[in-house]
Amino acid sequence: MSDPASVDRVEVPPGEWVAAVTAARDEGYAFFDWLTAVDQTDATDNPGFDVVCHLLDPSTPRALRRRLLRTRVSEGEALASLTPVFRGAAWHERETHEMFGLDFDGFDDGTGLGLRPLLLPDGFEGTPLRKSFVLAARASKAWPGAKEPGESEHARPTGRRRVSAPGVPDPEWGPR
Amino acid sequence: MAPVDLPLPRVGPAQDVAPTPVKVVLNWGRRYSLWVFNFGLACCAIEFIAASMARHDFIRLGVIPFAPGPRQADLMVVSGTVTDKMAPAVRRLYDQMPEPKYVISFGACSNSGGPYWDSYSVTKGVDTILPVDVYVPGCPPRPEALLQGILRLQEQIGQESLSTKGIRAKYARHRTAAAGEVTRDLVAPPKPAATTAPAATAPAATTPSVQAADGAAGEQP
Repeated sequence: MSDPASVDRVEVPPGEWVAAVTAARDEGYAFFDWLTAVDQTDATDNPGFDVVCHLLDPSTPRALRRRLLRTRVSEGEALASLTPVFRGAAWHERETHEMFGLDFDGFDDGTGLGLRPLLLPDGFEGTPLRKSFVLAARASKAWPGAKEPGESEHARPTGRRRVSAPGVPDPEWGPR
Repeated sequence: MAPVDLPLPRVGPAQDVAPTPVKVVLNWGRRYSLWVFNFGLACCAIEFIAASMARHDFIRLGVIPFAPGPRQADLMVVSGTVTDKMAPAVRRLYDQMPEPKYVISFGACSNSGGPYWDSYSVTKGVDTILPVDVYVPGCPPRPEALLQGILRLQEQIGQESLSTKGIRAKYARHRTAAAGEVTRDLVAPPKPAATTAPAATAPAATTPSVQAADGAAGEQP
């Protein structure tokens, strides 16, 4: 299962997303495992969001065949929904929608309520798993201690350039 | 149901004028019969459970596991990561506990947010939503740390003044909800749709809403 060579990786253009997943399901990859997105808006070529779908073939339980489908969606574009293919994709697409702000065309989980927040608390604003989402807690609540390795007041400065992780507020947010 | 503004429960006029030995006896009774209510939210709850089991066995300190629900509990142990989504439920169950009530914040996450302190979804310490009596540090703390926290809480209870005024002062600052606002009517089971649901599945579908109307049914481990 953990052998990376056992994964069948497929790159799909966004237009053929549903067709590719349907074809994989008909080939035997009938177990829908996971769907999520990866923020690639800082990629040099074709920035956008990678939508990833992981499927398993349960017909060979001792050697599970896996297929990982991936497509790159430009920012602001919508992707066709997988809910007609796998009903269980509804929760994953709702989570991807609230975490990344991606829209899924034709989303239907049987309720008719459309894409709506699944995990975030009521009234939450923003899409927290985007790299552009600023973790305002770092600016609003002081942390008593070192936040990053080598940041302690007792440590000598290393002189290395510090790489700022996505989400860390800029210095213009004020001292923290 | 409209909120009913119920007064705070009174401890009783006799305790205001009780002589010191009586207060000692009453505090002694209170500190060694802490019915505990575990708000287990993450891995710290495992350490809490370990503390309640035979090896550490906090019942020998007078902490009684477990209250049937928050309405019968004296002590709430918040063990684990409190998220913004969960915070209203924590506050709601705290409000349902009878006074005097005590809270132990167990572990780094419920103390301050812990390693998830800068997360978009984690509450920065459970003391932002309710008053905490004792903080137990650690990630997760060992069961011995909880025993030490219980001893510290019992010291605090032993020094408590029993007057109604003192107890009112302790809770009045944090009392944000009237009693009527944290109760609600029994939620009627939904009418089974005649066209879709077969009759056999209708009772199973209605059970959760009846339990939810009880307020605390789903939270007790």
